[in-house]
Amino acid sequence: MATKPARTGTPPPEAGAAHATPATAPSTEPIILHVDIDAFFASIEQRRDPRLRGRPVIVGTGVIASCSYEARRFGLKAGMTLPEAKRLCPQAVVLQGHAQIYRCFAEKVFTHCRDMAPAVETFLDETYCDLTGTERLHGDPLEAARRLKRAILESTGLTVTCGLGPNRMLAKLAGKAVKPDGLARVTAAGAGAFMRDLPVEQVAGVGHARAKTLRSMNVRTAGELRVLPVETLERLFGAPGLLLHERCRGRDTAVVSEREVPLSISRETSFHRDTADPREIEGMFEYLAGRACRTARELGIRPRTVAVRLRYADGESAERARSLPQPSDTDPVVLALVLDTLARLFTRRVALHQVGLALSNFVRAGAEQGALFEEREAGRRAALYRAFDGVRDSFGHGVIVSGRALHLKGRLAEDEHGFVLRTPSLTR
Amino acid sequence: MRQEPIDKPIAVRADFRGGAVTPIAFRLRGREHRVVRVNARWVDRVPRHPHFYFSVTAESGDVYQLQFQSADLVWWLDSVTLEG
Repeated sequence: MATKPARTGTPPPEAGAAHATPATAPSTEPIILHVDIDAFFASIEQRRDPRLRGRPVIVGTGVIASCSYEARRFGLKAGMTLPEAKRLCPQAVVLQGHAQIYRCFAEKVFTHCRDMAPAVETFLDETYCDLTGTERLHGDPLEAARRLKRAILESTGLTVTCGLGPNRMLAKLAGKAVKPDGLARVTAAGAGAFMRDLPVEQVAGVGHARAKTLRSMNVRTAGELRVLPVETLERLFGAPGLLLHERCRGRDTAVVSEREVPLSISRETSFHRDTADPREIEGMFEYLAGRACRTARELGIRPRTVAVRLRYADGESAERARSLPQPSDTDPVVLALVLDTLARLFTRRVALHQVGLALSNFVRAGAEQGALFEEREAGRRAALYRAFDGVRDSFGHGVIVSGRALHLKGRLAEDEHGFVLRTPSLTR
Repeated sequence: MRQEPIDKPIAVRADFRGGAVTPIAFRLRGREHRVVRVNARWVDRVPRHPHFYFSVTAESGDVYQLQFQSADLVWWLDSVTLEG
């Protein structure tokens, strides 16, 4: 068994050295706090409607995006198909989800984290906070994390699990051992013992494929992974093998970085009914491209790369990413590439179940080299879309609907945020 | 659970004391519905002026979503969630 870090209030054995120092003295080792919102989407739905509390709740369409701990007792987990979930737990309440509401709650949680830590890296439902050197301000990190949990609970009604460690990986693993609503710390001195018996899949960087390779070699725990020489790991996995050699020893050098620029901006949705109607498909892509470009403009970034994703009704999928001649955040430029990619990608005579696009490889707006002869036209277009953004800020995104997206009118419900998508996605 | 969109402006009696807004009752189809519990509140700060949202339980036991738009000081009834 792994050396499980102690839950709230009980200092773990490994933490002895850290606790022996005065609470206000800065520690010599980095302190990373990982905050994970417990059963995020399902917990919010249970907050919004008290009749759901204590009941198994599933959020998702097609597959489980999130499920409550009551549902997990029946073996349900994220990624499971809904028919399978209903078979295991017929009494589960299935909800389609409200991405905009989840974003508001996540922002509130992240605001508490930013109040406490000088560097915060946020994801959909979790965040890493670098607390290194903040002991004089906040006192003992465990106590600071406890205060953070309390503040989040009071302002949002949500419980979070906090893990403290000398690096990101150990902070996350410390929390994972005490979910839900837990608090635990692993120190650098205790990292070796903590990691030794963990299943190899829990080592950061070991996914399904690498775990399968390692298990075929009878390597089942992080401790057994340590026995493999670094050369063997490099031959097996290439450069990531070098990282695994460090990580199975509890060493991780990844820093907490304020990602002002997201890795990607994704917008995707499934159709209410599988479709091969080009007007509906192109209309949906125009709408998704408009939403993604607006987010990019708000962040002041322009993508170089645009990826198009298709999922057919029979479960097959296709994806292709292409580069724009110049980074651009204006709808028609991105849409032209999206539609051209769609024409090359949508080759099967099968209806589509889901479509999506992702913008990535961003540059700061204004930082890229302009196209010499098209600059005036590009400037006019950028000004036009900034004006659209202003109108939409005041009256809602749905107040302006462009070209092909008009075909969605009457097919999709609308609110002040625009069309109500079946399975909206969030920016990562 | 069945959520039905309503999406219409309504009259709401609210308490603005202490720097926070809390709905107390709202008028729907000529009848006043007293709020017996505010289940959750959240703020959408993406629009230029924030929108304040409330999930409330009315005397009937039904759960409603109310929205207060700070730009024009208007209340909206977004939806009602019914059992079944």
